[in-house]
Amino acid sequence: MLELVNVTKTFNISGNKEDERTALDNVTLQIEPGEFVTIIGGNGSGKSTTLNIVAGSLTPDSGKVLLNGRDVTKIPEYKRAAYFGRVFQDPMKGTAGDMSVLENLEVAYLRGWTHSAIRWGFKEKDKKIFIEELKRFGLGLEDRLNQKVGVMSGGQRQALTLLMATIRNRPTFKMMKRDYVLFSGLDENVARKEFEDEYNLRKGEYDKKVSDIKNDSSLSKIDKKEKINVAYQEFDSAIRNKFDLTKQILLLDEHTAALDPKTAKKVLELTDKIVHENQMTTLMVTHNMKDALTYGNRLIMFHLGHIILDVKGEEKKKLTVDDLLKMFEEADKKAEN
Amino acid sequence: MPYIVSVILNILTSGLPCCLLALGIFLTYRLLDFADLTAEGSFLIGGSFAIALIRLQVDPFLATLVGTIGGGLCGYLTSVFYTKLRIPKLLSGIITMTLTASLSMLILGLTKGSSPFTNNVTLDPADYTIYSVFYYGDPIYRPLIKTGIMLVVVIIVFIAIYFFFGTEYGMAIRATGMNEEMGRAQGINTKRASIVALVLSNSLIGLAGAMFCQDLRSCDIKVSSGFLVIGLASILIGESIFGKRTFKNRLISIGLGAIVYFIIVTVAIELGFPTQLKNLLYAVLITIALSIPLVQTLIKEAKKRKENNKCLS
Repeated sequence: MLELVNVTKTFNISGNKEDERTALDNVTLQIEPGEFVTIIGGNGSGKSTTLNIVAGSLTPDSGKVLLNGRDVTKIPEYKRAAYFGRVFQDPMKGTAGDMSVLENLEVAYLRGWTHSAIRWGFKEKDKKIFIEELKRFGLGLEDRLNQKVGVMSGGQRQALTLLMATIRNRPTFKMMKRDYVLFSGLDENVARKEFEDEYNLRKGEYDKKVSDIKNDSSLSKIDKKEKINVAYQEFDSAIRNKFDLTKQILLLDEHTAALDPKTAKKVLELTDKIVHENQMTTLMVTHNMKDALTYGNRLIMFHLGHIILDVKGEEKKKLTVDDLLKMFEEADKKAEN
Repeated sequence: MPYIVSVILNILTSGLPCCLLALGIFLTYRLLDFADLTAEGSFLIGGSFAIALIRLQVDPFLATLVGTIGGGLCGYLTSVFYTKLRIPKLLSGIITMTLTASLSMLILGLTKGSSPFTNNVTLDPADYTIYSVFYYGDPIYRPLIKTGIMLVVVIIVFIAIYFFFGTEYGMAIRATGMNEEMGRAQGINTKRASIVALVLSNSLIGLAGAMFCQDLRSCDIKVSSGFLVIGLASILIGESIFGKRTFKNRLISIGLGAIVYFIIVTVAIELGFPTQLKNLLYAVLITIALSIPLVQTLIKEAKKRKENNKCLS
């Protein structure tokens, strides 16, 4: 679960009150796992700032960001990155133009990993995974793996960024432990102990199974290998099911605004598909009210740093673009008075 | 030794250390997109440490290593100015470059008992450099041995750099240089990546300085002036002649670019260009190198137009 608690952010703090611009004013927001939230609002209403504060590229002046109940306000952006996939408005921002499709994907695949200076960056087995994923996109990108991203169109780059925001290599046990301690919402020592106890228990079970299999003279060598493999898978998934927190959150900041209408529609449909297939918690900022109504199961409207509308499920389905426009006008009038 | 061979060896002994210099500048200027003016400073520090320590009878290889590390520390200083104090890139480099001039006088001053500072130090004929420890046999082969040692060092460094930038961390540095925002969003500690790249780059430049000064057998605080331009010109010449398609291709281009640069300079001077005006020559060369890409596109466009006209007629 993702929460913002009393978050305030002001830009241009210089002592001169007239220059100051309040982007978020005491905003509190709770987002449940699996929600697909669309966020609308005028320019400077605080919708992009919200995403940036969630991801950690901006620090709030006051208030907290909680992930699974744990305060992550002070954890730097790159450390939170394992939990957030981001797509920006500018197609140039999400990818490295001078690197190939393959290299870009490899960078994304290592999100949340410690980058090793001795492990080879390019891995043949990852390439197969990337090709599979790209094929699902149906944009023909799988045939252009070695092409530099810089020569591709905005739509293709945005689609690639979308994939980069959603794929990630399975974490190792060590990383899982690190992240569990950081993000589980428990006290650090409690979380560490819980992980270690569970790990030792399961590891003991696994070791016992392995020695049993090895001592069993009725099995052939190949059978033994296979049984050990099965035992390991059980051990692996037992730990993962309990401790892998990386149910990722997707942050989309007007990611189709720079694209032509046809491409924008395609990228949006792709987004919807990915979000549903992976059941990802998603925050999508958009300028297009129709899109905000069509997609997602919750809608939030920002106005001058406040949330003025927050609807879910059936209630959201009943809304129309006219309703939203009316609300905008009313909010504007109120602000003028 | 025939005249032409000695000219070629001359070109190589000046050009090979500059391959390392150009490689170092390439790492910051091209990969990290950081116009790092520390370069001349770390070159000077590398040379100063090497010469001063050799004069103090330290093993030449150890002295070279200290020079390399000294260069790396200059890079670290610049990166601290940039990442911690948020001083703009260009100014961070300038500050380090400025302070290395004084630092170098102190380092060279270590060799003199009477004064803590000195402007230049020359090695004794009896002092061993990393080249002269390998001088066996007829003195006539000495330039050949020297070139050989330089070549070995350069090749080892280039291969090591090639492999490093193929690893996960190397990839992370490249991504940081191209798009810092994306780097952070993809979980890369971009500050640390910048620091590592700057330290690596300036270590290479320090090594280049140490090798260059040991070839001269002396070091003074003006030895590094003009080398930033030489390094940049090497990169640009290399890229426009030998291409920049892949990372491997780019590394080879840089190495060859430095050699081509010295071929041009040496030929010009051999043909009677006054050495006093060599900085003018450097400036002209870098201007030409910078305009080559424009000329290339103009030629391509002209060709295309010609083809189109043919199709029409």
